[in-house]
Amino acid sequence: MTATAISLRGLSKHYDQVRAVDDLDLDIADGEFFSMLGPSGSGKTTVLRLIAGFEVPTAGTILLGEDDVTTRPPFARDVNTVFQDYAIFPHMSVLENVEYGLRVKKVGRSERRKRAEEALATVRLEAYAARRPHQLSGGQRQRVALARALVNRPKVLLLDEPLGALDLKLRREMQIELKQIQREVGITFVFVTHDQEEALTMSDRVAVFNEGRIEQLAAPVDLYERPASAFVAGFVGTFNLFQGEAARAVVGEAGSFVIRPEKVRLDAEAPTDVTGLCIAPGVVREVVYLGSTTSTVVALDAGPTVTVSHPNTDTSIDAALERRDQRVVLTWRRDHLVPLASSETAALPEEETA
Amino acid sequence: MPPMLWLGVAYLGALAALLITSLWTQNDFTGEIERAWTLENFQDLFRVDVYRTITFRTIGIAALVTVIDAVLAFPIALYMAKVASPRAQRLLVIAVLMPLWASYLVKAYAWRGMFSADGPIAWVAAPFGLHSPGYGLFATTVTLSYLWLPYMILPVYAGLERVPSSLFEASADLGAGSWHTLRRVVLPMAFPAFVAGSIFTFSLTMGDYIAVKIVGGTTQLLGNVVYDNQGAANNLPFAAAVATVPIVVMLGYLAAARRTGALEQL
Amino acid sequence: MRNIGSKRLAAVACAGVLALATACGTSSGGSDGDKKASADQGGFSAPDVPMATAIGDPEGQVNILAWPGYAEDGSTDKTIDWVTPFEKESGCQANVKYFGTSDEAVQLMKTGEYDVVSASGDATLRLVAAGDVAPVNTKLLKNYADIAPFLKDQAFNSVDGQMYGVPHGWGANLLMYDTEKVSPAPTSWSAVFDDASQYAGKVTAYDSPIYIADAALYLMDTQPDLGIKDPYALDEDQLAAAVEVLKKQKENVSEYWSDYLKEVQAFKSGDSVIGTTWQVIASVAQGEGAKVEAVLPDEGSTGWSDTWMIGAEAKNPNCGYLWMDYITSPKAQAAVAEYFGEAPANTQACSLTSDPTFCDTYHAEDAAYAAKIHYWTTPIEQCLDGRTDVKCTDYGDWTTAWTEIKG
Repeated sequence: MTATAISLRGLSKHYDQVRAVDDLDLDIADGEFFSMLGPSGSGKTTVLRLIAGFEVPTAGTILLGEDDVTTRPPFARDVNTVFQDYAIFPHMSVLENVEYGLRVKKVGRSERRKRAEEALATVRLEAYAARRPHQLSGGQRQRVALARALVNRPKVLLLDEPLGALDLKLRREMQIELKQIQREVGITFVFVTHDQEEALTMSDRVAVFNEGRIEQLAAPVDLYERPASAFVAGFVGTFNLFQGEAARAVVGEAGSFVIRPEKVRLDAEAPTDVTGLCIAPGVVREVVYLGSTTSTVVALDAGPTVTVSHPNTDTSIDAALERRDQRVVLTWRRDHLVPLASSETAALPEEETA
Repeated sequence: MPPMLWLGVAYLGALAALLITSLWTQNDFTGEIERAWTLENFQDLFRVDVYRTITFRTIGIAALVTVIDAVLAFPIALYMAKVASPRAQRLLVIAVLMPLWASYLVKAYAWRGMFSADGPIAWVAAPFGLHSPGYGLFATTVTLSYLWLPYMILPVYAGLERVPSSLFEASADLGAGSWHTLRRVVLPMAFPAFVAGSIFTFSLTMGDYIAVKIVGGTTQLLGNVVYDNQGAANNLPFAAAVATVPIVVMLGYLAAARRTGALEQL
Repeated sequence: MRNIGSKRLAAVACAGVLALATACGTSSGGSDGDKKASADQGGFSAPDVPMATAIGDPEGQVNILAWPGYAEDGSTDKTIDWVTPFEKESGCQANVKYFGTSDEAVQLMKTGEYDVVSASGDATLRLVAAGDVAPVNTKLLKNYADIAPFLKDQAFNSVDGQMYGVPHGWGANLLMYDTEKVSPAPTSWSAVFDDASQYAGKVTAYDSPIYIADAALYLMDTQPDLGIKDPYALDEDQLAAAVEVLKKQKENVSEYWSDYLKEVQAFKSGDSVIGTTWQVIASVAQGEGAKVEAVLPDEGSTGWSDTWMIGAEAKNPNCGYLWMDYITSPKAQAAVAEYFGEAPANTQACSLTSDPTFCDTYHAEDAAYAAKIHYWTTPIEQCLDGRTDVKCTDYGDWTTAWTEIKG
């Protein structure tokens, strides 16, 4: 890991009885695209606001690079924020919005203009400098907010669910664009989202938050393939869980195990070579067409229900639909089973469909 | 449509009747209105210096009261909208509205008591060898500012409450201190609300005559001229002519206010 | 907007023309210098308003428009009550509305809401000319016979020998002062004019154009060169001189009063220490503990002679007549006169006052004294002092002048 952009040590924020952030330690590297993922109320936005300086921590310290900024007001921290609602100043033009931070810092007029236009070019809004915010679309406002923050060349850019208000198509485009911009400007991005797909797509590392603590901190691949807990497994993608009686029946040993739906094969009969495989017969209960994939829900003879996911490589899914109520055999590789620490099985997250 | 019709007849009809009356004249002796068309009332209005003096004095007081109320209302409204807890916010709104429940006269007479020679102001000033400023323009300005303050606080509060807090945070985030945020973001955003409030404070002052009678000492405003001419001298046509002055001033004011977009805040 | 029938409007316009055309043509033949200069404005024909011929059954209520202190029902002071006995006696419930200036009285009578009004000399003829009041059938009033003769058939209360009301009482505008702050006791109106600066910011004055007459009266004494004979007959120069006096006075005035309670309060708090007043205000202020006295200055004074009149559109004429008869009865007259501090019109009242010398103090039976008071009269274009070589200023001019004085 290179130099550290942000270090949080023992950071806590309590509101009355609620521990929004609970004794957090976290290091974010320079130039990293770092995501904080979690359901609402998990503390991720509070951490962002603590870093920005909008909230004062109950305990702990915040280091920006080498500087302890724990007690500094927002305007004395070298970070900038892109707000969820963009917070574009409605009484200023696009250019004036982007120039605002430079103006505050008393940057000269021509320099100010040059940098603001560069920033607008970065977000492809050169032609909109004279517009008023209310004349812009949601995506354009989002870019203005980005330009307004980037123009200050902060050490760290904080983004608070910046794509939440955009429609799906635009959001996907912006995800890719944000990643490109981050690569271009080389600034550390700290990105808050509750959308697992968004986090996985863009991030170098993701911290999954639950009840004010980090549940797991890992690169996207590790997060998906090796979730540390049922909570993470459930929040990042869908999963099948075997625990207790079911684990013994299906896996053949005690504990909690997770298998991703796309890792499971579905056949009419058991394969001949069963080396390194788990095999579980059952009855198809439901077949759900999802466009790129089809989900099949199978009730295992051993008890639990398992969801299986297959890419729709054929145009017709008639074959899949015909399997309803038929007996099938599920197989998966033993090494695709992810064992969980047994204590983690209690708290399962509500799946968010964002 | 019927509500609009009702409004049209009741409001505009009365206004039209007023304007028509101002073009008639009155028999000074019997006080009867003589319905002969004449511009005499308006000629008098422009010819006699004192009416011009009173008009400018009234506009001046109205402007002063508006400025005082704006200055007083801003910190209160800002605190209510952005600092106070929701509970404190509700209590403050009630506190601001509370003086409106009391009779206008009670409040005006309360200020008469404040300014009287044996009143609290004189009592506080006495140790410094000072007196109460007494009744006059100063007392009138203070009293009217007090009376109309809620009409400024409430629109400004409503206007500030509509400003998302994230804008203030964004300003601080971009490096602006409180003063800069206040000047560059809060005040410009609240400006239409100030204009909306000023429509109340300005027009209410333009039309007031009772507070002036109670604490104004020897001064008079346009409202007093209307009152003296209609209530006392019984010269309704001239009173009507005088009454058109604040209407014209207010129309000008509203036209100016419209350009700021303040009317959408009402 | 008031709805005046065209017939009535024509009649009123006609009366106005007549008033101007004949104003200086006739005199009601007053004696000794004719203190009733207002007589000169008499002689016009009043609009034809029918007169009552009998008092019918009482309607159950009567709406009274009165000067403050003329119709007390015990609400100001429990012992001061002559309205309740009237209500019991007549079966008419009395609804009393007080007014502060004659102009207000004229204005309120025009609404037609009031049955009877106590009108001063600067309101009576305006009401008659406008057709707002009806002639009074004095034969229906048993107390009318006892009214002082010098108050009957006067220019300000009758037209062509027809009474338009019944005389109530008369008195002078006085000078009130704070006995602790003003010493020695003032004897001249100069205390509120030329010498007002001693009490800078503490002088008060009556808020009505008719107050210009007080300044004119003062000028009669201090600047005889101006040739003012009657404070209600001022040509342009004379009015200008009076306006000058009042503009100078204004620099020392704390406030003008028209609401008598406001004056009481101002003297109590010390905001006013000297100024024009009525005896009743002085009495109320003293009653509330203010250290004040009221005097009649050497120059004489403006004053009033009031008349109860009945509205032309009175809804309760029978109760109105009953009230007019009651309020001019000796007992009621004694009570009102003593409370208000004026001379009663009914001299029989003099034997009933609690202070046996009351009528002497107020010269109630002294016609000569009564003649020295300059009663409120409406100024009109034809000079009331008989001058024909110059136009006088009318009430409209006075109203404008009053606005200018206040600035």
